Amino acid sequence: MLAIQVLINALVLGCLYACIAIGFSLVWGVLNVINLIHGSFIVLGAYLAWGAYNALGLSPWYSLLIAAPSFFVFGYLLQRLLLNRVITAPVLVTLTLTFGLDLILNNAMIYYFKADYRKLILNPPTGSVSIFDVVVPVDRLIATASALALTFLLYLLLRRSKVGRAIVAVRLDRDAAVLMGVNVKSIYAVAFGLGAALAGCAGVLMALIFPISPLTSSAYLGKAFVVCVLGGLGSVSGALAGGLLLALVEGVGSVYLGPAHAVTLSFVLLIIFLVVRPQGLLGRKGFE
Amino acid sequence: MTRTNIALLVLIACVAALPLFGDAYAMRLGTMACMYAIFALSWNIVGGFAGYPSFATAAFFGLGAYTTGILMNKGVPLSVSLLGALVLCLVLAAALGAVLLRLRGHYFAIASLSLVEVFRELVNNATDLTGGGMGLNIPLVSGSSVLSDATFFFYAMWGLLLLTALVVIAVSASKLGFGLNCIRQNETASNMVGLNSTLYKAVAFGLSACFVGAAGGLYAAWVHYIDPSDVFDILYSVKPIVMALMGGLGSPLGVVCGAFVYLGLEEVVWRNYIQIHSGVLGVLIILLLLFLPHGLISLHASKIWRGLFGRKAKHV
Amino acid sequence: MFHPRLVLTALSASFLLAAAGLGATSSVASAQDVIRFGAPLPITGPLAPEAVKQQQGYDLWAEQANKAGGINVGGKKYKVEIVYSDYQSNTPRSVQTTEQMITQDKVNFMFGPFGSGAAKAASTIAEKYKVPMLAATASSSQVYDQNYKYLFGTFTPNDTLTTPLTKLVKAKATDVKKVAILARNDLFPLAIAQEMEKSAKENGLEVVYFEKYAINTLDHSATLSQIKSLAPQWVFITGYTNDLLLIRKQMVDQQMKAGVVTMIAGPAYQEFIDSAGATAENISSASWWHPAEKYDGKDIFGSTANFVKLFKDKYKLEPDYAHASAAVCGALFQMAIEKAGSLDRDKVRDELAKMDVVTFWGPVKFGANGQINSLEPPVFQIQAGKPVVLFPDAIKQGDFKLGVN
Repeated sequence: MLAIQVLINALVLGCLYACIAIGFSLVWGVLNVINLIHGSFIVLGAYLAWGAYNALGLSPWYSLLIAAPSFFVFGYLLQRLLLNRVITAPVLVTLTLTFGLDLILNNAMIYYFKADYRKLILNPPTGSVSIFDVVVPVDRLIATASALALTFLLYLLLRRSKVGRAIVAVRLDRDAAVLMGVNVKSIYAVAFGLGAALAGCAGVLMALIFPISPLTSSAYLGKAFVVCVLGGLGSVSGALAGGLLLALVEGVGSVYLGPAHAVTLSFVLLIIFLVVRPQGLLGRKGFE
Repeated sequence: MTRTNIALLVLIACVAALPLFGDAYAMRLGTMACMYAIFALSWNIVGGFAGYPSFATAAFFGLGAYTTGILMNKGVPLSVSLLGALVLCLVLAAALGAVLLRLRGHYFAIASLSLVEVFRELVNNATDLTGGGMGLNIPLVSGSSVLSDATFFFYAMWGLLLLTALVVIAVSASKLGFGLNCIRQNETASNMVGLNSTLYKAVAFGLSACFVGAAGGLYAAWVHYIDPSDVFDILYSVKPIVMALMGGLGSPLGVVCGAFVYLGLEEVVWRNYIQIHSGVLGVLIILLLLFLPHGLISLHASKIWRGLFGRKAKHV
Repeated sequence: MFHPRLVLTALSASFLLAAAGLGATSSVASAQDVIRFGAPLPITGPLAPEAVKQQQGYDLWAEQANKAGGINVGGKKYKVEIVYSDYQSNTPRSVQTTEQMITQDKVNFMFGPFGSGAAKAASTIAEKYKVPMLAATASSSQVYDQNYKYLFGTFTPNDTLTTPLTKLVKAKATDVKKVAILARNDLFPLAIAQEMEKSAKENGLEVVYFEKYAINTLDHSATLSQIKSLAPQWVFITGYTNDLLLIRKQMVDQQMKAGVVTMIAGPAYQEFIDSAGATAENISSASWWHPAEKYDGKDIFGSTANFVKLFKDKYKLEPDYAHASAAVCGALFQMAIEKAGSLDRDKVRDELAKMDVVTFWGPVKFGANGQINSLEPPVFQIQAGKPVVLFPDAIKQGDFKLGVN
């Protein structure tokens, strides 16, 4: 049945969208910085997975383990050395700064990797499973499961670890956190690093499904935006809710309005949410 | 009229002399320079005066381009088509502004950015009217020589720039400008003292869009063929912001100078650093934001002196 | 001291003049006996892979021409020089760089930028300056509908691809009744999809689905599920190589099967076949040229086989239609210049308009609007990892195979 197939597609895609958006959402929620480099981080993570698989034969699982710490360090340093200088500046300045950084990263990737689309072709290919009449590709299932696992890990980190709780504290009330002895400067850097790490890992997972090219970074960024606004900032559940909603709207819109209109619909929805309910579906200033 | 505004008008008047020195290509650059200056001045109304970081410039640029294109295809002469584009952008932006400018900071930025996407996809899908992804042909305005064509469009864009500058100067000296200033400094307080901030913001957004729309219309007539990804390009929204930051937020003279300097840099970089030009642009943006956050207009000769020779300033 | 505003104003005005001046003074020292051809290409940006192909074609021709001593202009030999520039896959920039090449770099003739959109935009500049422009990759007839005299193109209109394709499918796959069309919302892919719709209706097929997808779409699963539910026997998809690869993969993910799957315009490229692997089997397509053609040309390359050999020797790859089209544009300019016996642009333009000659690309004759109308585009199908020509009969290599998994 078409409806069920579209629904299942949307569920799977929604989790992937959530994975793309979670790092972006964290950075926005905690540092109040819209990180326009996010899309390029994802693409870089995808290249990492592709390169590791083709050159060294490493399966994407290992790439995940490599991506997480390396992107974390990259993000941490970037925030500490560069972004921290403008952290108190108005929105415009931080947005334009991350835009400039994104131009550099994107250009560097085009220069070194060329704009050609690459595909990480798993050998042997994983195929798809069919339950009753509904078909689901296995690689998407794997990516979805991993995405959910990642988000769950983040959830545990934010709830259980000291660093995680400090991050949440800063998000809730920066000044109070300072009074509680939290080193906000360091937390900002940690949060940004975490966001970068999540982006890198999301990239590794995306490499399994989508083509890899620096040109796709704006597509990922666009999705991340919409998911955050729809679902609410800074929380894991918000990203999941936003991702699922976006995927559903796109899927249903594709079928009833045509694929071209589905894109317009998602942005119109974005604007409506911004005006009517800017905190998103599940956004509230609180614990996830 | 303040001295900065007079300086602005003088600068614009000097630019008018370009055709005397340059060939058709130089006039192409000059037309682009005027267009960029119009963007920067327009953006400044809502971004500099009112303090709302708008990313909607590309949306109205594209809208103006397509409006003019469609009207001209129906036989409407250029001047009337441009007027049509201007009025449509003014009214539409004012209406949208009343709704969207209720958002602050990041949210407004994203909403204005989404306008670009929405407009583009709407145009993309109205294939019968706009040609959709296949683009729109615009009939040639003047069939004569290359030079006269180039001169015509240069003066047309220049004229639009002059009009924009005059309106901006008028706004900055008027109650509207004063009101926008108040809104930028403290919107809640402004509301409390009886300022109708929604009205002021709507008008500001409308003004920031109408000249951009007319410039879009001129651009469409100039290049004869437009398609949605060309005119609804997000860079048309980002560049005015960089120009404004470069020149000095809030100051009309500053943003126009920022526009000219930016164009000069863009030309130089594009020619010499083909493979890495966007990377170089990125580096420029970062250096600008880190070391010159208030733009070139804040450059005092004494600062340059200090920067070069490291001597202590005589005064703080 | 100097008032900051004065400094600022002076600075910006000087920048502007400098940029304009830079233009005027950057005229390149031109040797006496050189003919310069301007080639604006999307060296960076989404279309970069296409730029590589065109550049390879132009360079091969320039090399061959110079090896033979150059182009013969009324008895004197002139060397060929190609001036490249990058318009960043951005159409307004392609217009700007075309003007720059004509006015600053003082090129004699122009090659068109890649694709239908940019070629159309840039042709206005060529027309204004009366510089003959040969567009190597512009097929949509909309490109040539502005009544320009200086624009010529080596791709035949889109319907010359869809008509033989439809006829072939109707003849060989008699069960095909329903066709679904999915097009990228871009000049060439959408235009050719519209031609396909026309062609299908004229031949009695039912078009059960016709939609456009936005550029940069990553996920087509909902669309493909919908198409699958309509059970068409023929699925027709347009886009560029990466779109088609993505859609093909997602079709396999959804376990979509159809009797005939046609994709334009990627399957002619080796990159498509390599990346798609086994999933490319039995995909049909059409293009404007195929290395199996057997033309005996009067151009510098001579026979098609010779061109293929020279190309393979230089680049170690099999040439596809994009490479060939770029090379033939160079060869056509050469023939026109030699026939005109001068570098006068109007004379060369007239020779191009009159041209009626066989080349390695095929018979070349331009219609009144500047677009070539003499080719018989081949229809082919990927069988066992190789493109196999099915039509026209003169160069047929194999038979149509039904069934795409």
